[in-house]
Amino acid sequence: MNLLRKTVCGLIVIATALVIPSCAPSRADRIVIGSKNFTESLILGELFAQQIESHTRLKVERRFYLAGTYICQQAILAGRVDLYPEYTGTALTAILKEPANSDKGTVYQRVKSEYERRFRLTLGPSLGFNDTFAMEIRGEDARRLNLKTLSQAAAFAARWHAGFGYEFMERPDGYRGLAATYGLHFAEPPRVMDLGLLARALQNHQIDLAAGNATDGLIPALDLFALEDDKHYFPPYEAVPVIRMQTMQEHPEISQLITDLAGKISDEEMQRLNYAVDGQHRDAKDVVHEFLRSKMLTY
Amino acid sequence: MPDHPIIEFRDVSYAVAGTLVLSGLKFEVQPGETLVLLGRSGSGKTTTLKLINRLLSPTSGEVRIKGVPNTQLDLVALRRSIGYVIQEVGLFPHYTVERNIALVPWIMKWPEDRIRLRVKELMQLTGLIPELASRYPHQLSGGQRQRVGVARALAADPEILLMDEPFGALDPLTRNELQQEFLSLQRKLRKTIVLVTHDLREALRLGSRIALMETGRLVAALAPQEFLHSADPAASAYVRAFGDGLGTTLDRSAS
Amino acid sequence: MNFFHFMAQNHQQVLELTLEHLWLVGLSTLFAAMIGIPLGIAIAHRPRLDKPVLAGANIIQTIPSLALFGFLLPLPWLGERADRLAILALTLYALLPIIRNTYTGIRGVDAAVLEAGRGMGMTDSQLLFQVELPLSISMILSGVRTAVVISVGLATIAAAIGAGGLGEFIFRGLAMVDNRVILAGAVPAALLALLADFSIGWLEKRLQPR
Repeated sequence: MNLLRKTVCGLIVIATALVIPSCAPSRADRIVIGSKNFTESLILGELFAQQIESHTRLKVERRFYLAGTYICQQAILAGRVDLYPEYTGTALTAILKEPANSDKGTVYQRVKSEYERRFRLTLGPSLGFNDTFAMEIRGEDARRLNLKTLSQAAAFAARWHAGFGYEFMERPDGYRGLAATYGLHFAEPPRVMDLGLLARALQNHQIDLAAGNATDGLIPALDLFALEDDKHYFPPYEAVPVIRMQTMQEHPEISQLITDLAGKISDEEMQRLNYAVDGQHRDAKDVVHEFLRSKMLTY
Repeated sequence: MPDHPIIEFRDVSYAVAGTLVLSGLKFEVQPGETLVLLGRSGSGKTTTLKLINRLLSPTSGEVRIKGVPNTQLDLVALRRSIGYVIQEVGLFPHYTVERNIALVPWIMKWPEDRIRLRVKELMQLTGLIPELASRYPHQLSGGQRQRVGVARALAADPEILLMDEPFGALDPLTRNELQQEFLSLQRKLRKTIVLVTHDLREALRLGSRIALMETGRLVAALAPQEFLHSADPAASAYVRAFGDGLGTTLDRSAS
Repeated sequence: MNFFHFMAQNHQQVLELTLEHLWLVGLSTLFAAMIGIPLGIAIAHRPRLDKPVLAGANIIQTIPSLALFGFLLPLPWLGERADRLAILALTLYALLPIIRNTYTGIRGVDAAVLEAGRGMGMTDSQLLFQVELPLSISMILSGVRTAVVISVGLATIAAAIGAGGLGEFIFRGLAMVDNRVILAGAVPAALLALLADFSIGWLEKRLQPR
């Protein structure tokens, strides 16, 4: 009887001991930075990490390779991550679930105010480039058929096979809306493929059109051509840091550091950074460090 | 001399799932007597016993304890004032002998020292050596276990003791021993006892009166000597079934 | 840098993810016990309810875990936060072993013991707390042990929906094609499961009725 009572008490103590420390993360001197699981997001995450590391005493923890927008959102809401790079267009349609809008300023303001109101998260300024979805075709096809815009390409869709990543297929600002806007009808339903395999599939003529990103490093490297979104279907995808408001309050020094990065990366520069990691297989850490030095943001 | 019967069955019937198990039971138990409910399996004797401490409720009729219908008495208080001994004993395997015996006093919140004293007393009474107090039931023999069962039933000093084939699971030697001790205990304590058995020898030895039951009816209620020589067909059939040598059983009996 | 080096270098994050994992497992097992043990006791005492309740818990068990996480996503309040959702799903999966073992444990108590107790004037709640529960505690703990071990494994999948925990290392390692990272999640998770199994098992033995 006595043993039973002791055991029950013991179990309760153990359960409490397990549960309590997990609730109260001691973030006095620590910042956790997240990123999604593709190269560009990694580079941006690393960028913020190094920016903060080199200018403050804060210990930066990296929680990269989170598998998607939803998971990053969950992580930052739960406080497991303090900051991660997001795209304004993605935030607008996939998280806030609002209809797309093609004006950069409007989208940014809307996302910022809604995030602050609903999630106690705020946005830093845009890093400069617009990583919108790029409908990529082979350079040779673009030159041969004299194609520059999506509207022009729509005429050839019936003879083409398309390949898209999973998220692009499912997102409201993805394939469905695009097909409706441009009247795209492909030879067969688009193939869903892993993002990493799309470029190669395009090269090997397994597909003729892929949804890539405007800042893909492989575009210049593999002689791919990004069709112009002449009907402005895609909302702007400016890269911004999403930060917990609490983190900003606890570490106000971060605010200036993030502002220093505003507008520092152009579309071409992002392409080059992506290519350095994807195409040249260099370490993201080195690439980012070099970049920061070139911009005289670090030593 | 006894004025009021301590237990009274007034025209009690008991049915379960449409089958009549007991019908028209009418009898009295006087204070201090040992009434044996005798009968074959299925005769309703265990059912009758359970109607006394309300483990079962009659379908019709009344069971009275000390003049009050037992349905009007607080159930838990009733049961705590009646000792209950069953064949399988039912000791709590996770309690020591001491705690098992002390059960009713403990739930009645007796002071600790009173309990300890009472346990010592009872162990002596039932022939259990003091060393056994801290042992567990699985460490005891069958006979020792039933002694603990009896001690437990007597712990709160109830007036009434109900016993359902208490010695049935024991070997003949141990059974004999316990029956003997039962008799001396009864002489000392003078409890009112209702004991269920199918064994005529046991009935003759332990009972001051034998109530024969057959298919849910009380067929005869006689003192042992009378029972043995009864002309009643049911009684004599029972006697015959048990064969010779019953006379000597009587010599070692209670009354 | 080999695996041990990697673990040493990243011990802070390993610890953090382990604590997240424990939070998911601990809370859900606690909820499952708070619901499952009383439910198990109830159906043990009311034989007509046992089949539907056990069947219900069984059905939940057969739903593939990732699918269950997915089903729960659109729910209001719960679906908004991955850890709430994960804890709900893990609680549901922990129910069957706990309910079933509680039920079996209580039903397994010797009827003679209960009859003796009742006959001597113990109330139903006294019988429950003094007799039935102490005699079935070992069996109930065995159910809790099964639930914990299952939960540790399932919680690794919860990282797929953003609930954190050691599964995050595993998914990250898969994306990076880096075995060390995968192991950094898989090894602590396996160790957790083994530790839980061993320690609760030890407790079971200590509390075994004679």
